[in-house]
Amino acid sequence: MKPSTVKIIKRPSRFKHQVPKYKVTRSSACINCGTCAKSCPYGVHERQEGHNKMSVPIDYKCIGFECENNDFFCVKKCPRNALNISLNPMYETLGDYRWTADMITGTWIMAETGYPPERTDLEYNIGNSGGGFDKLRLKFPSTRPKIDKYEISTEIPLNRRNDGRADIVISTPVYGGGMSFGSVSLSTMVGKAHNATNWNTFTCTGEGGYPEVLQPYDEHVITQVATGLFGVREETIQRVKIVEFKYAQGAKPGLGGHLLGEKNTESVARMREAVKGSPLFSPFPFHSVYSIEDHKKHIDWIKEMNPHALVSVKVSTPNDVDMVAVGSYYAGAHIIHIDGGYGGTGAAPDIAKKNIAMPIEYAISKVHNFLKDEGARDAMTLIASGGIRTAHDLAKAICLGADGAVIGTAEMVALECVRCGNCESGRGCARGIASTDSELADLFNEEWATQRLTNMYHAWNVQLVDILYRFGMKSVRELVGRTDLLEHIDYSK
Amino acid sequence: MPKKYHIHSKVTPLNLDYLFKFRIERGENCINCGRCTKVCIYEAHKRGKGDPRKMAVPNTVVCRNCFRCIQECPRGALEKSLEKDFLNIGGTYWKPDMFITLWKQAEDGKVPVTGAGYRGPFTGPNFDSMWTDMSEIVRPTRDGIHGREYINTSVELGRKLNHLTFDEKGKLLSKIHDTVDVPIPIIFDIPAGNVSANIKMAMVRAAAELNTCIVLPANEISSDMKKYVKNIIPLISSEEIDKHQGTIKNAKIVAFEYTEKMLSSLSELKNKAKKINNVLTIIRVPAMKNVESIVSKLTHNGAEIIHVVADYRCVEIDDSGSENRRLGKDIIRAIHLKLVDERIRDEVTIIFSGGIAMAEHVPKAMICGADLTAIDLPLMIALGARVYEQPKKFIVIPEGLDKVTVRTITQRIINLMGAWHSQLLEVMGAMGIREARRLRGETGRAIFFEEIDNDTFGKIFKKREAASL
Repeated sequence: MKPSTVKIIKRPSRFKHQVPKYKVTRSSACINCGTCAKSCPYGVHERQEGHNKMSVPIDYKCIGFECENNDFFCVKKCPRNALNISLNPMYETLGDYRWTADMITGTWIMAETGYPPERTDLEYNIGNSGGGFDKLRLKFPSTRPKIDKYEISTEIPLNRRNDGRADIVISTPVYGGGMSFGSVSLSTMVGKAHNATNWNTFTCTGEGGYPEVLQPYDEHVITQVATGLFGVREETIQRVKIVEFKYAQGAKPGLGGHLLGEKNTESVARMREAVKGSPLFSPFPFHSVYSIEDHKKHIDWIKEMNPHALVSVKVSTPNDVDMVAVGSYYAGAHIIHIDGGYGGTGAAPDIAKKNIAMPIEYAISKVHNFLKDEGARDAMTLIASGGIRTAHDLAKAICLGADGAVIGTAEMVALECVRCGNCESGRGCARGIASTDSELADLFNEEWATQRLTNMYHAWNVQLVDILYRFGMKSVRELVGRTDLLEHIDYSK
Repeated sequence: MPKKYHIHSKVTPLNLDYLFKFRIERGENCINCGRCTKVCIYEAHKRGKGDPRKMAVPNTVVCRNCFRCIQECPRGALEKSLEKDFLNIGGTYWKPDMFITLWKQAEDGKVPVTGAGYRGPFTGPNFDSMWTDMSEIVRPTRDGIHGREYINTSVELGRKLNHLTFDEKGKLLSKIHDTVDVPIPIIFDIPAGNVSANIKMAMVRAAAELNTCIVLPANEISSDMKKYVKNIIPLISSEEIDKHQGTIKNAKIVAFEYTEKMLSSLSELKNKAKKINNVLTIIRVPAMKNVESIVSKLTHNGAEIIHVVADYRCVEIDDSGSENRRLGKDIIRAIHLKLVDERIRDEVTIIFSGGIAMAEHVPKAMICGADLTAIDLPLMIALGARVYEQPKKFIVIPEGLDKVTVRTITQRIINLMGAWHSQLLEVMGAMGIREARRLRGETGRAIFFEEIDNDTFGKIFKKREAASL
């Protein structure tokens, strides 16, 4: 399948207004002549039918200071100098060090249009965290390569063991992270799965069962086996192409999971084969795994139950993550999925997110090199997650040694998450993404969610293809481990 | 199985004025349609109490920054911005966001939890440049979340012997020193700023209920505190030891301000105190440039417990106004390593204070080499206080706090410690460490930015150019 065959349809925001970067003000000098409304092609200025007065400017449509070179720049056009453009103080309330307001806005544009923003006033590839990916730069050659962009492949194989199991190839080196039934709304969950099908890639059920509505997408669903074994049944293992063991997750390494009693509604309880209303603990760690031999026993168990499935092992990033990865190789896993501490979508203690285990940037390099030294790198697929926010992060992760990435927060942002972080409090997500509240979960439908995600994946793919093109590569597989193509702004060459 | 240590938190709001992060303004073009009241799930928007035809002023205290009202107002009449007064709180070390989380923890006693990943800088100075390790598979607290009750957070104060000696018949010759156990590796330091009697009393009571200790200048111990005397560590200047005989008689531990004279005459002072009562002694040493050699000399001279006090921003104390001051993390490491090198580490207990601002600083200070920590400002922040770093350290106590009941203030402090205790359990649980005392000096179970960045990116990208800058 070629990414170019994915259908892009414009899907605007579900809200009346977006968060504006600029503030357009009209002073009392305005004589309501309407010149601005006629000249602005973006629709910032309006005079409604039958109104004498101009409407309040629609800030979020304004492209800002870069407009001043245009003939139609309203501030210059206004005969009374009544208009002014400034940075909107509201913009500072959006985003944070890792996900800047520009990055969120950029991702929203991608989800709406299917392409990276055309505006040049948004720094949407790099965050402001002052470390890791935000200090790495891709070092492009100055010469233009002689490559046809249409020949560039972004496919990666997930089974590199040659063990007779399914030869799964995904069309873009990204797939969706595990978010359990109950933690996100059904529209979100189905949207993710439908998008994975559109893109010939995967999404993951998380721990909490395999709802029937996902069955049409079975070929593109990874089911998770986590320590609570909630909703794990023989038939769910047999239904899928990939089974993921979750040892830990980056946002709360070593802490296990906890579903609050009130979130354990009737449908959630049925799915998890638990009692309604009681809090459910997914303890850390697997009580049946004391060693790599025990780990192998687990993997063998899955392999026995489903003779075609690939096995993925998801771990977080402690000091010895490299040993764990090699252990997983010897235990027979196909995919080692390392989840860094700075990502994660679910609710987690702030102290854990900030302080426990290392950021993914270091872990990728560590695992890639250790697998190489052990002669196991070519037989394993290394997937990174936990802080992959943009297509550029993805490319940098691949340069550091990953084969591909799993994303979670970026998908949520595509669905108009503002990263307010209140996923778990009260009625849940105010924006209806991570909520099962009857009113809030109806704020958007599957179709909208699917198309927004498909558009965002497309924009990432466009960016990735452009990166490969500028490096003169025909396949994303050529990029793996190419640290020579990176620069770190703190270190000299 | 010893009795479990449990901190009883209880939701305790303080109905005083706080500063909040966001400001929402309603423009004149609002048509009072009430759409905002429907979309806001936190009830920031309500109709006017007096006149329900009009919208009330938005209640930003409950605003969680979800943008629903902003994006759904049919007229675009709502505007939100960051509250400038809020951003001015604290400074470079005490960041404004720390206050929100401390206020909240003091209110509900819960571990702060949010979704959608980490939002802060990649790394920072001091304790922000280290991560704690976790273990993926094999760990002693195998029971995960259910096994947390088996994690022991208590630490001992006092001198321990390097080794035991026996005579030919196998009889123990060494004299085992007394120690005092505290169930959390946190004691309260002298209350910061000029605080009223009810606050001081509440701090003493909180220390007693938590079964930890509070350091108080001997002349500030009022008669109604006598009940809690076992939890009070009187601070005495060594010259006034005779004057405070009565206080020493009742105490378990006594603290003395460090003087240079102690380098030669410490045993004299210790004996004098012990003659009054068999108390443990703390020497309170400011974290100056040569603090590790002072600590080492005092230990050689028989100091049992040394309390190293850094600046409130967790840096070296230096009156010269120099910008280039050693960071708390490095001070502790230097002291610990010097004592280890001299093989006297177990003979002394090191308490570190100054800039312990968040729960994570406790295990991190211990990993760097402290036995336990002492806190002062967080206790005040638990009561709604604000700290300003510029132009110089300044604490603003909310108006009306002196009229709040001792019980309420006590509970707020207990809540904060309950939240910190739970967070300590999270970190220790992830590390697979079951005894808090084993955290001490366990740098192998931490990841230091300088090391890992150099190991990863330094190797790939050669020498750090900016290192000299």
